[in-house]
Amino acid sequence: MTETDRPNPLRTTFAGITLETPTVLASGILGVTASTLAFAARAGAGAVTVKTCGLEPRKGHPGPSILPFRHGMLNAVGLSNPGVDVVADEIREYRRRNRVPVFASIFGRTEDEFGAVAARIAVAAPDLIEVNVSCPNVQSEFGQLFGTDERAVARITEIVKAAADKIPVSIKLTLSCPSVARMAQVCKDHGADAVTAINTVGPGMIIDVHTGHPVLSNLEGGLSGGAILPLAVRAVYRIKAAVDIPVIGTGGVEDLDGALQMLLAGADAVGIGTGLYTSGSGLFEELRGGLRTDLAERGLTSINELRGLAHGA
Amino acid sequence: MVHEMRTYPVQRVVTHAPDLKSFYFPRDMDVTPGQFVLAWLPGIDEKPFSVSGVDNNFLEITIKAVGPFTNAMMEVGMGQRVGLRGPFGHGFKLVGPALVVGGGCGVAPVRYLAQEMARTETEFELLLGVRTAQELMFRDEYHRAGAWLVTEDGSLGTRGLVTDRLKELLAQGRHSHIFAAGPEGMLLAIRDLAEEHLLDYQLSFERYMKCGIGICGHCAMDGSGIRMCVEGPVLSKQDLKGITDLGLPHRDATGARPGNSPGGGCR
Repeated sequence: MTETDRPNPLRTTFAGITLETPTVLASGILGVTASTLAFAARAGAGAVTVKTCGLEPRKGHPGPSILPFRHGMLNAVGLSNPGVDVVADEIREYRRRNRVPVFASIFGRTEDEFGAVAARIAVAAPDLIEVNVSCPNVQSEFGQLFGTDERAVARITEIVKAAADKIPVSIKLTLSCPSVARMAQVCKDHGADAVTAINTVGPGMIIDVHTGHPVLSNLEGGLSGGAILPLAVRAVYRIKAAVDIPVIGTGGVEDLDGALQMLLAGADAVGIGTGLYTSGSGLFEELRGGLRTDLAERGLTSINELRGLAHGA
Repeated sequence: MVHEMRTYPVQRVVTHAPDLKSFYFPRDMDVTPGQFVLAWLPGIDEKPFSVSGVDNNFLEITIKAVGPFTNAMMEVGMGQRVGLRGPFGHGFKLVGPALVVGGGCGVAPVRYLAQEMARTETEFELLLGVRTAQELMFRDEYHRAGAWLVTEDGSLGTRGLVTDRLKELLAQGRHSHIFAAGPEGMLLAIRDLAEEHLLDYQLSFERYMKCGIGICGHCAMDGSGIRMCVEGPVLSKQDLKGITDLGLPHRDATGARPGNSPGGGCR
């Protein structure tokens, strides 16, 4: 048998979607246009997620809105997006030339608005609709995060499922709730096909010591990058231990070790965001090669044999 | 490399015109010509600027007042702190003999390119074009460097467009490369001339920029998806392959492309 005859050891299937490699470009990174989604697909992502969109165009916050520091990154972009209908066109444009699955990401200002956005993105037939109930950067505008309120998450999950026209739905979870595993159970009970864990953490603040000004224009922003990997790995582990639901494990993966930790914790796929800055756009290929080699060294033939092994350890 | 934000006291301000100033900062980073920095005014905004000069002690950026941020910069004086981070992007690779062309606001980045070409003893000639003499900053320096000057109104140097003079210079066959910064219409005309004369070229493009570090996607070119803040802003013939939005209105802060405003101007 030649190399190409063997089944792809990295192929992974969850919620009815097959990825040729278990990595996902996370929402908010690159994916504002068809061309940037294609850029990430060419770089080796197993699936690509579009930046979160809502009903109306938004400019987002002034700069600085994305701020690396030595232990990670803070961002408060403020959900800038050209509106759901433009994004639907970008998804269709992407699909014309690309086979790598594409996930939409949506937000609403009210519970019902999530349904309206879902219905309008569904016409572009993304492979999955991710529901951003957990963006920490618009709280002053929208009030409490939906993602911390079980009743709101339950209702939004049902509304989006009803509007999504059989497209699988993943709810993107925040750590700012008492139990992320409990919240994943709520999502499953109300029809979610998967959960994405986790969104950025915090929010946090960085102050310029000379002027005394917080540097982000929004003053505070969600924390991402290597610093949050242990939080994300633990969240995936706790969800998988408690709930039978696919998980896109996202948060702080910047190298092979991080991706392996996510998979061992039970992630069905690994989201990559800030890592594309800290490790460069070669990270997707690095993970693909690294995971193949790692499986071979362990004597495993499929990524499915590796997934969740931490639970038996 | 982590691009952390730091604020620096302004060391010197040079006023070229009430709406056009150069600001000197302590030199705290190594910059290639064509690369840019993000400048932050606390409480106002953060915007990208190409570096217009570097020496042993200072890094200089040159700013024209065109909007809220740049207007606020005109009020900044010596000692006031401004945030800087960078350098970002991919600059010019210095090769000669080259023709270095700056048009309009492109006159600023081209100055640092010319400084570095001279310092590294790379053979080059300078060609600068502005609408009227008053728009030409660093005029004495450019005179000393023997630059060809073109103004649309004839108030300085030759009257006409920079591309008219470029055609004459290219006809002399002295150059193997063209480097240029300026309005996108000029860059595309220069690209066509370079192709016609079988010359290599490196051109500095602008797109709406947000993060500067290659993750927000706002400055990516349509078609190939290459990012002006990482793979750009200086693009070669090879880099330009597959790009489909040259000369079109630029995408705005929402990520949408406005239907009716002309693209390719200077910030």
